[in-house]
Amino acid sequence: MNNILKYIIAFVALIVVQLLIFNNIEFSGYVNPYVYVMFIVILPVSIPSWFLLILSFITGLVIDVFSGTMGVHAFATVMAGYMRPWILSLNVTAETAAGPDTSPSSQISGIRWFFVYTVTLVFIHHFTLFYIELFSLRSFFHTMLRVLLSTAFTTFFIILFDVLRPRK
Amino acid sequence: MRSLLNFLLRYKTLILFIILEAVALVMITSSHNYHQSVAYRSARTVSGFFSKRIEKGQSYFRLRQVNQQLVTENLALKRRLEELSSVPGNGFTQVVDSVAGVNYTYMTARVINNSVNKQKNFITLDKGSGQGVKNGMGVASPEGVVGVVVGVSRNYSVAMSVLNTDFKLSASIARNDYFGSLAWDGRNYRNAQLSEIPHHVSISEGDTIVTSGYSAIFPPGLMAGTLTGDQKRGGDFLTLKVKLSVDFKKLTTVYLIYNISRNEREEVERKVINE
Repeated sequence: MNNILKYIIAFVALIVVQLLIFNNIEFSGYVNPYVYVMFIVILPVSIPSWFLLILSFITGLVIDVFSGTMGVHAFATVMAGYMRPWILSLNVTAETAAGPDTSPSSQISGIRWFFVYTVTLVFIHHFTLFYIELFSLRSFFHTMLRVLLSTAFTTFFIILFDVLRPRK
Repeated sequence: MRSLLNFLLRYKTLILFIILEAVALVMITSSHNYHQSVAYRSARTVSGFFSKRIEKGQSYFRLRQVNQQLVTENLALKRRLEELSSVPGNGFTQVVDSVAGVNYTYMTARVINNSVNKQKNFITLDKGSGQGVKNGMGVASPEGVVGVVVGVSRNYSVAMSVLNTDFKLSASIARNDYFGSLAWDGRNYRNAQLSEIPHHVSISEGDTIVTSGYSAIFPPGLMAGTLTGDQKRGGDFLTLKVKLSVDFKKLTTVYLIYNISRNEREEVERKVINE
């Protein structure tokens, strides 16, 4: 119960931070960090995959409604949510030892593990998001540069937030 | 039957994934003519409510700059007033010029939501159909062209920004009246591209780009930007790089422009083209 409340608080906090701060950040059109993806990153390891997909969809939809980009974020978050179990299974070692109910974090599994996991998930999300937003392969390399730079920034902030995350 | 159930259970995640992505795709594609979407409009009303409050807080930090802008504009208006009143017999009587045929009315609005970092940027304004805003009205700031209204709710309206890859504007070089099409390539928010300019036209850095008035949305001669001097040759035409006069990151107050005789003009144009 306590756990569910924690996730709800995290969800609201990430959405607010995204809308009020990160949506206003912009360096010459290349860097658009979308840190709200952290919500999908920190959901418990044992979460059923269908539930993960629905939560991902809701997260994307909320961002879409408030930034006026109907469906674009929802598409990208569902893609990230679908890939997450697969990314976890690729480097699961440290995580399973800590128990399936824990939320992926650098404290439990080490910063290196958390970095690889986060950067992969964020890249999949940003890649889908930026190309779906464009809806064409026009200026492919320019968009790829935006994907890579934004992924770097988002990952940096997620790891920062993870380190600052309150512990029980 | 049983094997079908087993199949569905086995692939439930994949099926759910496909369904959710399909829903998202439908939303994306239908949002291209999104001002018809009722869901979007009501969502806008909700998010408009919050954006307005957020903007109120942020606007305090821009007061100094807004003041500066107003002073500059006041000065320009005063100068114009001086010019007009010095011409004998052409003072302050309002001339309803039915020969020239074009009459524009202006209305001010505040920008309550805006972005420059997407490929398709939109601007939310705090005036809606209740205040007389209609689809297709032009939006300009004291510095120049900003966009076109594409969606209206009761108290809010949404304008497609010049910084939207779907936006096209008929613009001309002020010095020699050659006109082309002004559009944004989705990269730097300070620059746009003026295409379809013939090779022989002489251009120089700093030339002013203004609206041509061919589209009935903006009056002719409204500032759009200046040439940076960069040009690209492609086929029979030049594509010129234009530095936009409006800094979209600092947008606060804008004008809505309504062309009174627009319907009449479009009707006659349509009639001739259809024949």
